[in-house]
Amino acid sequence: MVKLSEKLRQPNYRIAVVSIFVGALLAYWKPYVLIEGIQRAGLYAAIALPMALLMGVVGIVNLAHGDFMMLGAYFAYWVSVYGGVDPLLAIVPALAFFFLFGCIVYLGPFKRILQAPELNQILLAFGLMIVLVQSANLLWTSRFIKISLPYVSASTTVGSLTFGTFEFVYVVAAVTVLVGLQLFLKKTTWGQAALAVGQNPRGAKVVGIDVDRTHLIIFSVSIAIIGAMGALFLARHSISPFIGFPFTLRAFCLIAMAGIGNLTAILWVSLVLGLSENFVLSFFGYAGWADLIYFVLIITVIMIKSRQRQVK
Amino acid sequence: MKKLSIILVAVGISCFFLISHALAQPKPIKLGTAIPTSTVIGQEMEKAMRLAIKELNKAGGALGRPIELVVVDDEMKPEKGAAAIEKLATLDKVDIFIGGMASGVHMAQIPILRKYKPVTVWLGAASHKCEQALEGCDWYFHLHTWDYEQGAQQRLGWEDISKKQSGMKIEKNFFAYEEGGFGAASFEAIKSVWMGEYKIVGESFKSAQVGGGDYRTLLRHAKDWKPDAFHWIGYEADAMPIMEQAKEINFSPPVFVGAPPMWPPKFAKEPLANAVCFYTAWSHSLKAPASIRFLEAYTKEYGQPPINYVGPLSYSNVYIAVEGIKRAGTLEKEALISALEKTKYESPLGDVITFKPSKVIKHQGNISMKISQYQNGQEHILWPLNLATTQIMYPLPSWEKR
Repeated sequence: MVKLSEKLRQPNYRIAVVSIFVGALLAYWKPYVLIEGIQRAGLYAAIALPMALLMGVVGIVNLAHGDFMMLGAYFAYWVSVYGGVDPLLAIVPALAFFFLFGCIVYLGPFKRILQAPELNQILLAFGLMIVLVQSANLLWTSRFIKISLPYVSASTTVGSLTFGTFEFVYVVAAVTVLVGLQLFLKKTTWGQAALAVGQNPRGAKVVGIDVDRTHLIIFSVSIAIIGAMGALFLARHSISPFIGFPFTLRAFCLIAMAGIGNLTAILWVSLVLGLSENFVLSFFGYAGWADLIYFVLIITVIMIKSRQRQVK
Repeated sequence: MKKLSIILVAVGISCFFLISHALAQPKPIKLGTAIPTSTVIGQEMEKAMRLAIKELNKAGGALGRPIELVVVDDEMKPEKGAAAIEKLATLDKVDIFIGGMASGVHMAQIPILRKYKPVTVWLGAASHKCEQALEGCDWYFHLHTWDYEQGAQQRLGWEDISKKQSGMKIEKNFFAYEEGGFGAASFEAIKSVWMGEYKIVGESFKSAQVGGGDYRTLLRHAKDWKPDAFHWIGYEADAMPIMEQAKEINFSPPVFVGAPPMWPPKFAKEPLANAVCFYTAWSHSLKAPASIRFLEAYTKEYGQPPINYVGPLSYSNVYIAVEGIKRAGTLEKEALISALEKTKYESPLGDVITFKPSKVIKHQGNISMKISQYQNGQEHILWPLNLATTQIMYPLPSWEKR
């Protein structure tokens, strides 16, 4: 009992308990809000996790994050069209391709800017975003592409409720990425080095960790994951060169809410965001308000955190 | 020295002939257009305009002068669109303005056009807000139907179709519209025409074009309301996901209508597209002779047919402007306006285009809306009934039967 009360003092557990309570209420009142909210949360978390890893370890706000996903989606599209395979199978080559691409991007511009003021880093990421978007625009034009896959509209019926099942793939993806990253960070040498670099780069260097190489690995892993996410995204969504930025914003918001470096909390705050958005959407005529949710959440979290600091 | 003198004289004579030849060439008549050439739809417009100009120049141009198209990319951005008009009016000094696309962009262009008051035969912009901003602009001719006219034509069309199809009802209509200017303004205009006699409910959604793409809650609302017809007003990016998600939640209204400016490539071939109705000003299946001629010429020139109605509309736009110039016999403004007022152009859109006053402006083209339907991989016209190529597939087949 004492252990539980101690655990409840941790934000992650508090958010988890509240989420479970809200989830139960929703399941009773409007079950589709719960189901589709969880699916939406899966997508958000799967996109935000690699960005959170990058921000936590390397300390870069990668404004081009969503645009790497866009490139991943086009990569999967090419693999699907020219290779004649299902776009979901493009996940494997996308991981390898975007890992290499991440290496190139890191060794090219990013490595040189790590010691520069944060504003320079943001400007570089912003510039990279424009380059990626306009390159995609030249290669594939601004016209939206949607691959038709019969399985994305698969559904199941429970009682009077019919709901889609494909989007659970995003939940699986988010959990897989989270578990994979946790294992990588805790069980591998590179992962442990990354944790050390994330906490104290100078200290890590003193004890002999190759900080630069760690940055390279983490940057490339982050780009590889988000690139592979592009394949999952393509299966369900229409894509164009301009789809990335709204997801960068959401990912950034989730990281700010979860706290930099706190990967597990990304899952919970994604759930809060996904359920809240679906809750608002479920009221007829209030769809426009759903977009305000993440602003409200981020402002609330910032206020709470700044109050906590003042109290300390 | 003597050799140098000979060379200099030869160069001088060559220059003289070159310059005099250039001066003797008739100065081209410039048609200026601001269109989003960085988008597929803008490229389509430019291709159709260039095809028309090629044909016209081959036939001798106008007033003994060749026709030239001056294109500025407005990037679908209001500020760029306004700057494009300024450039065309001042730097390029075009003789007549044509083209144009999005209402949002045009709203920013209208003050610049009002400043220079050029003779304008505008193709796009359907919002009634643009029309209101153009009050008193007698030098302005508009081709695309205004949103409220579209609403009225759609209503008339559905009334005609439902009269012909036994058991068909269109009493309860659910409108899903994208939350931006295009969708919201279109719904507002449609509501003003349909309200009263029909039950109308509308709900906005965030288009996939701007980061949305989850329509399931909206579709559930529509499903609960049990409409006779479900209409969505959005973009190409929304087309397939809406169908997929409607199937996912098993929403199958008797009539399913989509109203994006253009459909995804090969949408017609998708099993989910079967029996989906849509609005257009032109269809590949249109049997009008001018349409067949245009389709053949376009396909021959570019190796593929036009993607939607903006092609034949842009083509018509150039012809209407140039025929106006020919009729006027001059580029003088008053004569040109007067000549354009007498326009009677047999368009590939299937209409003989003339200009009449609309609610606010004096010169509105009479382009008719067509109601079409995808049936087994082909697009068919359902209305106007005199152009119909088949009967409506009604009701929408259940998802299992596709």
